[in-house]
Amino acid sequence: MSVDNQSIESTNDKDIIAIKDMNKWYGNFHVLKDINLTVKKGERIVVCGPSGSGKSTMIRCINRLEEFQRGSLTVNGVEMVEDVKNIEAIRREVGMVFQHFNLFPHLTILENLTLGPIWVQKKPKEEAEAIAMKYLERVKIPDQALKFPGQLSGGQQQRVAIARSLCMSPQIMLFDEPTSALDPEMIKEVLDVMVELADEGMTMLCVTHEMGFAKKVADRVIFMDGGEIVEENEPHEFFDNPKTDRLQLFLSQILQH
Amino acid sequence: MVVQAREFKPLPDQPAPIATTGPIAWVKNNLFSSAFNIAVTITITVALFAILPGVLDWLFFSANWSGTTQADCVKDGACWVFIQAWSQQIFYGSYPIDEIWRVNLSLFLLAGVIALSFILPAHLRNKVAVPAYLLLPFVCLLFLDGSNIGLKPVTTDLWGGFSLNVLIAAASIIIAFPFGFLWALGRQSEMPFARSVSVTCIEFFRGTPILALFFMGSVMLPLFFPADVSVDKLLRVWIILVLFMSAYMAEVFRSGFQAIPQGQYEAADSIGLGYWQKTLLIVFPQVIKIAMPNILATFVMVFKNTVFLLVIAVPEMLQVIMSALSNSNWLGGHAMEGYLFVGFIFWVCCFSMSLLASSIEKKLDTSHKN
Repeated sequence: MSVDNQSIESTNDKDIIAIKDMNKWYGNFHVLKDINLTVKKGERIVVCGPSGSGKSTMIRCINRLEEFQRGSLTVNGVEMVEDVKNIEAIRREVGMVFQHFNLFPHLTILENLTLGPIWVQKKPKEEAEAIAMKYLERVKIPDQALKFPGQLSGGQQQRVAIARSLCMSPQIMLFDEPTSALDPEMIKEVLDVMVELADEGMTMLCVTHEMGFAKKVADRVIFMDGGEIVEENEPHEFFDNPKTDRLQLFLSQILQH
Repeated sequence: MVVQAREFKPLPDQPAPIATTGPIAWVKNNLFSSAFNIAVTITITVALFAILPGVLDWLFFSANWSGTTQADCVKDGACWVFIQAWSQQIFYGSYPIDEIWRVNLSLFLLAGVIALSFILPAHLRNKVAVPAYLLLPFVCLLFLDGSNIGLKPVTTDLWGGFSLNVLIAAASIIIAFPFGFLWALGRQSEMPFARSVSVTCIEFFRGTPILALFFMGSVMLPLFFPADVSVDKLLRVWIILVLFMSAYMAEVFRSGFQAIPQGQYEAADSIGLGYWQKTLLIVFPQVIKIAMPNILATFVMVFKNTVFLLVIAVPEMLQVIMSALSNSNWLGGHAMEGYLFVGFIFWVCCFSMSLLASSIEKKLDTSHKN
């Protein structure tokens, strides 16, 4: 992120996300068990694991789309507490990209992008549109600005969704299986944008099964199962030298084909 | 070894076989597709030929079109003279004839605001059309009543006819719209007070027949007021219609809320929109679009329900027709003409509303299913 480059360099060794002993239950079902995770500014983390392992739930806790019942979470120096102002402050720092894009279907692409800057950051419309166009060019679809989401392909919609998050100039980007709903031919165009973003130093937490992407950009890969972090390592070691039999099994399953 | 790739050329599109499209195929597929359908088609055609000439003859060819009294109806057909002679009453009730421009102005303003919301570009629509709609009932009230703006006062018992049906339905719809939306929000709110108030209101007004509500409003409600306070009967009726319709609108909106994917709320949350921003910018526009057919159904229902005002002696159109039928100069069976006319006028209005709504639906459609 060009706008954040300076601050990233100066505070590169600071923890931007700190999760301590996070536990979450859906009713009686224990989804997250003693999650401990710290993320440094500019770090790229890939989270993988079988479905139902709690990986999406964990990253959704970071911007409070999900509540947790025990433990603590600090984002960019702000501790998450039960307070609307506090939650909104954290959400301003965190951008999120969803599996199903979740663009607003009744608004044009440009309006999707300017909504946050205009209504949350109170920027004038012209400035918001300039920012929006800048990011649309970054994701290589400025010519689609006046169309509606329904007129775009899945890959284009997901790139718009990434641009929408970037318009809020977040410190952290969360990706919740961003390519899982896409056709094979469209996965690449979305991953390219994400790689570019990673190269610019954005702090990223990405739930994905794209192991190629993990090898290419991740500083650390985390494997979750049964609501726990089972193993974490830098990608080379993670893939070539898994320490637990559970991860060995998982890798053998997904790399078989 | 490198193999030379064959160049891929997509095949050109070809027209569909003529047997599956076009009028002849339509007739064949829809009217004569099976022995049963052939029988139905023939029966209906024969029945139409037997009935239509008589109906058309009564309605048009042998009908009486000109004259001023019952004596002018000499031919066998319908006596449209009856409608003509009573037309002023049918449309304006007993509103003083010199002041009728005020009723026309109100109707004109209503049409104007509706037109405005279609003509205006999107970014002005919310800023101009919405306040215009909300002000409309009160502006019309000022003009029709007249006493506050230096016109000749016209008491509400003189208001009547079809213009009353239209105006009171429109005034109720306009006010019930935001009310219904608030009730629907309240019903799914996490605050116990807001939720229980909304649920109580919705269930009470939706579970009570409109006739019972009208009787309650006109007969029972005054008993609860102090002796020196009197609330105008038409005002009470208006309030009842608003509450009744709000309850229905609330349920219509609720069904719309439920059709909005959870992801929309999450996306709005993740870019940091607050509750009201999320509700008004993201949820409301999509709810309107999803609920449009049901919103229209509710409009039509309330519009048609305005004829029930006759049970508490408000002179709306049907009430005017019924008193005209029992007028001593017009005795002797013009019921057919009278009721057909009422039915026809209501049908024209409701059908126009349908057309209007489907054009709104097209306008709101951004070609997506998300």
